[in-house]
Amino acid sequence: MKFTIYQESRPGKRPTNEDRIAYSYSRDALLMVVADGMGGHLHGEVAAQIAVQFITESFQREAHPQLKDPFLFLSAALTNAHHAILDYAADRLLPEAPRTTCVACIVQDSIAYWAHAGDSRLYALRGGRIIAQTRDHSRVQRMVEDGLITAEAAIHHPARNRIFSCLGGGNAPQIDFSKKTPLMTGDVILLCSDGVWGPLPADVIPRALSTGNVVQATPALLNQAEARGGDNADNLSMIAIRWEDNYAEDTLGSVSTKTMPVDSFTTQMEAFAKARKGAQPLPNLSDEDIERAIQEINSAIRKFSK
Amino acid sequence: MPPQTNVPLPPGYQLDEYRIERQLSLGGFSIVYLAFDKEDTPVAIKEYLPNSLALRSEGDALPSIAEENVATFRYGMKCFFEEGRALAKISHPNVVRVLNFFRANETVYMVMHYERGRTLQEHIQKHRGEIRESFIRAIFARLLNGLREVHTHKLLHLDIKPSNIYLRNDGQPVLIDFGAARQTLSTDTPLLKPMYTPGFAAPEQYNNARRELLGPWTDIYSVGASMYACMAAAAPQAADQRVERDQLAPAVKRWPEKYSRQMLETVDWCMRLNYLERPQSVFALQKALADKDRSVPRITFLGGLRKRVKSLIK
Repeated sequence: MKFTIYQESRPGKRPTNEDRIAYSYSRDALLMVVADGMGGHLHGEVAAQIAVQFITESFQREAHPQLKDPFLFLSAALTNAHHAILDYAADRLLPEAPRTTCVACIVQDSIAYWAHAGDSRLYALRGGRIIAQTRDHSRVQRMVEDGLITAEAAIHHPARNRIFSCLGGGNAPQIDFSKKTPLMTGDVILLCSDGVWGPLPADVIPRALSTGNVVQATPALLNQAEARGGDNADNLSMIAIRWEDNYAEDTLGSVSTKTMPVDSFTTQMEAFAKARKGAQPLPNLSDEDIERAIQEINSAIRKFSK
Repeated sequence: MPPQTNVPLPPGYQLDEYRIERQLSLGGFSIVYLAFDKEDTPVAIKEYLPNSLALRSEGDALPSIAEENVATFRYGMKCFFEEGRALAKISHPNVVRVLNFFRANETVYMVMHYERGRTLQEHIQKHRGEIRESFIRAIFARLLNGLREVHTHKLLHLDIKPSNIYLRNDGQPVLIDFGAARQTLSTDTPLLKPMYTPGFAAPEQYNNARRELLGPWTDIYSVGASMYACMAAAAPQAADQRVERDQLAPAVKRWPEKYSRQMLETVDWCMRLNYLERPQSVFALQKALADKDRSVPRITFLGGLRKRVKSLIK
């Protein structure tokens, strides 16, 4: 597994930073997680801290060195983090459970898997283009996607910060999962809180990362988002990786036994079976044909071994 | 439904004039055993036993073949014969030698010379990223002698890859497993889907390979991919994917510090997607590999300076 990673979190112009970010990797698996504790609710940063810590610890327990099922892991880790936040609130008799958004991504065998609740985002970029991204659990954002309101209108929409899924809080989170996304050398995966993507025009993020230099591009993007955020800039957090392996190459290399000659023959037999069902009947190979073939081969062996 | 696994013949089993010692490999199409002949010479015996058609259970020697599979089982035998026919005519130190062919247990067996050593695949795994240029040149120059012999017989191997290149303990490489080899001139096997291994097969082998496009250059692509694998310690991107979106970093770009430019260019030359742009014969490739006029891999500071000064003077 080879990759370049960069993460940074800033308070922006807010008194506290309620974003939490983390990454962790074993020899064969990588976890990245961003949680944005929700202001306006009690202890937003506590919820974010619990979520990030809980998910990271689960990862460290289970990735030895790979996760058996990354989606199952993400599902369990995010759901259990939600319950851990509720437990925290119950233990302390808080009137309301704290809440946080969460986006978490696993990469192993050069395949990326991610899951999210809320409006912290993940972008998968290839050659400066977005190949996949999360859909915010935000009514306003869905309205933009559905063409009901314009992107400009959304910026000033009164409900722009309302999300309908998060960890913690009264309702069970709606967790959305990605497709399995094979990565190629140079692909960039980026996780960020809304303090980063919110102030930036849509094309800025993919363009900034088109070089793949995450170490330079990440702080540059944060600077830009912070500047655009002005006096009220929100907390900004971002983790970005540039993947350095190739899905095709990596898997073939590691499963070298699968490319052993004998396995390829299985494919060939499937073709026979298919051919058998086809219109063309198989030429019949009789006992005499077999004997003749063997004799022919053996005489060739004798002839050519001299 | 995944086919079940066949049970190999037990150690000590007397198979014709050979005594089975142990199983060497087991696959979907055949089982390979280490055995000893009457003179106690070790041999490798390949048993035709496609597990999708014939199943041998524990304690049995005879496989059970379902009635509806008998014709297909026999038809598959033809491929096995073709491998035997192909190899029988070739007697070359760098090509595995077939010694005998016989029938037993309702199937057929091919006896081959047993060599002590390991596959290039195992060598690559063991020496990840530390394989020297001199090694690659030496191994492939000799291997190509064998491949030339194969091509001379109007045969193509069509499945060259590190796991089919055997390194004898004396350092001689031996080309093994001609299961994919077909006489290119025979056209009576339209039912046979050509087989290939991702990463090592040439683009023209994919998508129901157009027979007329296969040639020495097809094996040469696989040779190039095998050399690339020596350097990368992994299989290169599969050719069908490269055709759609070529993400294979040229060897010249990937290892300029480690191997001579001429060596890297030769690898890239073999791996051109357009078969017309590759070396068209083994001989052409051998010449490139034997080329003594190798450029220095690293441009030293002084060397670079001298070059720049020279160009200024001019």
